[in-house]
Amino acid sequence: MQKQTAKFLINGKSYELVIEPNITLLELLREELGLTGTKYGCGIGQCGSCTVLVDCKPTLSCLTLAVTGQNRSILTIEGLSEGNILHPIQKAFVDHGAIQCGFCTPGMIMTAKALLDKNYLPTKEEVKVALSGNLCRCTGYVKIIDAVLAAAEMIRKGDKLE
Amino acid sequence: MSRELSVVGKRLPRVDAVEKATGIANFTGDIKLPNLLVGKVLRSPYPHAKIVKIDTSKAKDLPGVETVITLQDIVPRKAFLGSYGELPIIAYGAQPHLADQYILTNKARFVGDPIAAVAATSESVAREALGLIEVQYEKLPAVYDVEEAIKPDAPKIHDHCDNNIAMHWISPLSKGDVERGFKEADCIVEETFRTTKQVHCHIEPAAAIASFDVLGRLIVWSQCQQPHPARRQLAYLLDLPVGKVRVITPFVGGSFGGRNGLNPELIAVALAKVVSRPVKVEYTKEEDFHAVNNRSAFVYTAKLGFKKDGRLTAIRIKALVNSGAYLCRTTTATSVFMGNCLEGAYRCPNKLGEANIVYTNLTPSGSCRGMGNPEAMWGIEQLVDIAAEKLGIDAVELRLKNLKEIGEPSYVGLPIESLALRDCIKLGAEKIGWSEKRVKKSKETKRRGIGVAIMTHNCGAQPILVAHSGAYIKLNEDGSINLIAHPDEAGTGMWGTSAQIAAEELGINIEDVHITYGDTDTTMFDIGSIASGKSYIFGNAVKGAAREVKRQLLERAAKMLGTSPYDLDIKDRRIYVKVAPKKAISIAEVAHDAIYDLNMEGIDIAGTCSYQGTTASPPNQAVFAEVEIDLEIGRVNILRLVIANDCGIMINPMTVEGQLEGGAAMGIGYCLYENPIISKETGKLITDSFETYKIPSVLDMPEVEIIPVEEPDPIGPYGNKGVGESASVAMAPAIANGVYDAIGVRVTELPITPEKVIAALEAKQKRKPEQSNTR
Repeated sequence: MQKQTAKFLINGKSYELVIEPNITLLELLREELGLTGTKYGCGIGQCGSCTVLVDCKPTLSCLTLAVTGQNRSILTIEGLSEGNILHPIQKAFVDHGAIQCGFCTPGMIMTAKALLDKNYLPTKEEVKVALSGNLCRCTGYVKIIDAVLAAAEMIRKGDKLE
Repeated sequence: MSRELSVVGKRLPRVDAVEKATGIANFTGDIKLPNLLVGKVLRSPYPHAKIVKIDTSKAKDLPGVETVITLQDIVPRKAFLGSYGELPIIAYGAQPHLADQYILTNKARFVGDPIAAVAATSESVAREALGLIEVQYEKLPAVYDVEEAIKPDAPKIHDHCDNNIAMHWISPLSKGDVERGFKEADCIVEETFRTTKQVHCHIEPAAAIASFDVLGRLIVWSQCQQPHPARRQLAYLLDLPVGKVRVITPFVGGSFGGRNGLNPELIAVALAKVVSRPVKVEYTKEEDFHAVNNRSAFVYTAKLGFKKDGRLTAIRIKALVNSGAYLCRTTTATSVFMGNCLEGAYRCPNKLGEANIVYTNLTPSGSCRGMGNPEAMWGIEQLVDIAAEKLGIDAVELRLKNLKEIGEPSYVGLPIESLALRDCIKLGAEKIGWSEKRVKKSKETKRRGIGVAIMTHNCGAQPILVAHSGAYIKLNEDGSINLIAHPDEAGTGMWGTSAQIAAEELGINIEDVHITYGDTDTTMFDIGSIASGKSYIFGNAVKGAAREVKRQLLERAAKMLGTSPYDLDIKDRRIYVKVAPKKAISIAEVAHDAIYDLNMEGIDIAGTCSYQGTTASPPNQAVFAEVEIDLEIGRVNILRLVIANDCGIMINPMTVEGQLEGGAAMGIGYCLYENPIISKETGKLITDSFETYKIPSVLDMPEVEIIPVEEPDPIGPYGNKGVGESASVAMAPAIANGVYDAIGVRVTELPITPEKVIAALEAKQKRKPEQSNTR
């Protein structure tokens, strides 16, 4: 397959890459850019581990062609913290025991970010519905829900970084 | 323990949580090495077939393909591949000659059986090469049900055993005279139960990297829960000395027993041995479903006898165990199953357990959370409820009546060191509102009920299996320590737990503990994460190593302070004189003084401890489930779960809760949603994706209320016991008992699907049409 040049804006940085047009956004992130925080869990859009934000929308990067990510702003888990300072959602996940094996965590956090960016006063039900596409086998979700609600509280109180 | 604890018992964030929250934690698939090749597996599309001919020439000629291998290209050694060697098998009477699996097979015995493997320069080339391997199969009839497989005309899966019975086994826990026991009984209950081959569904797919270095040493990046035993297994299979094999463990995305043995590692090492480059093998999620060993499935008849006052007089179990195509770890699962049936939470003088472990043309059965105990409690705890109704005794009371006491034997034969199950049952019953909610019922189309089930388990596999762990701690000149050991962080929280234990023992903060781990070259032998024993056995190893470091510290500090070590203690990073606390010196000062000594008394303060489990400190739990059944569609909705849990003193309550909540989710899935369906035409697992095989999502979880019952264990570190498997054991029978309480029907075959509920209701209606509107 003929490779082509493509430009991307990922975590605020510009990249110009030569890629095959049939690679997924997940492959672009992990293989081309070494951003391995976004995970391959199933590769067919059923587990949510590959979730990134594309123009603020939670997107399954394993089902997204990389070339469609051009001219869009892409945010991955690596772009969330600022240096050593964790985003409130990351801090809440850490503090509330919402992380066990950590494999679903990046996808969960990105989905939570998309929710809280749109709705900083979510109810428990709204949090559950928002996260319903992210599977976790370790936690039973209890502390994940607690963490997202706690993060919402932190953001409301002005701990927001952005 | 009179001293107040400063680190143990605190709800501290796990020490690996930040790495995971920022995405920098390295899992196997994230690791990049120079010259890395991609390895892929050609798997049998048939459940049972002779392999007449394999032609790999076209595949080998494809540009980018480094090698293509079949059985003839590797050392033809058989092993129990889902296990770490013959040890767990021999313990149960099976012999090494029953080792039945090659890394690459010469006869296909299940859909997914590995036949050939490719190493290529990219994923797409490897995939294309697989398509170019030409295999000539001679299809054979296949069998999937254990009852069919033992019939005389069933297809023979392995040459070495008749009727597909790999092992016939009478449990050594059988004792007394069951016939007499049943004759003495006033009430006998008997039922047949069926469980499923639950799939682990760890989110991270199976993956491994193998590489030979310039000195001919094999390095394997492996997700295996038992890295040191894995090293021995790999050495054996490749005909290498053990010392030439090094296993490194990255972070692992959940195990639940699915990584107890070796799977992708086998392909990776077989390929790496042939090419001179590292090879990474990453399974697709579909391969995870087909090729990673799943839970053993049981079809069993359980019979219990009771006196009219509720005392158990006899237990008899007769089981057929579905081992799938290879023996793997089914024998261990069978023994844990039998152990908990015959010698679990209840006392009973007469018991007999008999099992036939049977081959079928399905994915081999391995370890899965609870290891035979969830399968056992599914039946036993429902039978206890059936008996309670027949006897006219309350279901909670009947359980309390038969509970063992401290000092009585656990199923592993050792006396029970601590036991708070009675309190768990009482507190749980109170919390769920047992007395009020068991009387009722409504006549509407949505009916509520509550059910109870209890469990006990083992904490470590002693004395049946190898059960020791080692830890090595060295002190740095800034007063921090390196804990060099194998906490095996697949999500159980052992990094944090072990750091808390070390910090508590040494009077330092958790940030002062640097965990250097995951490498068999640097860490002492550790049996690994099995049998809910890690916090107990490994925890004690960490405590022991820390205690040795403390001893050396106090000795050195005593010289510096001009006093005796017995006068000193450590708190908040300072070593102080007990009777004059202001006379003190920091740990850092002592450590620095020891290392950069110029008086010919230099030393690096360090301690090791190899801890062997020798006692039984079983964790226990009582689960109460409040359910609501929609009679019109048969759906079971769990409203509330109360989990009263005895795991001794919790090192980190947040970690324990996490394990209980996660285990509850897995138990709920096992009970209600996870339904592995095999096509009878193709032998393939049809439900081989998250879409068709339903693990609970966030929407499926009920409110979970945890009651910690913290009775210190005399042996566990700081009074701790294990908890990893507890929560998935009693969940299913508690729900099933709740269903019966709500609507008077019992489902004895997992999972409890709406179809089964409707069918049971209809069957009940046919039997008693005049009572169709009442319970």
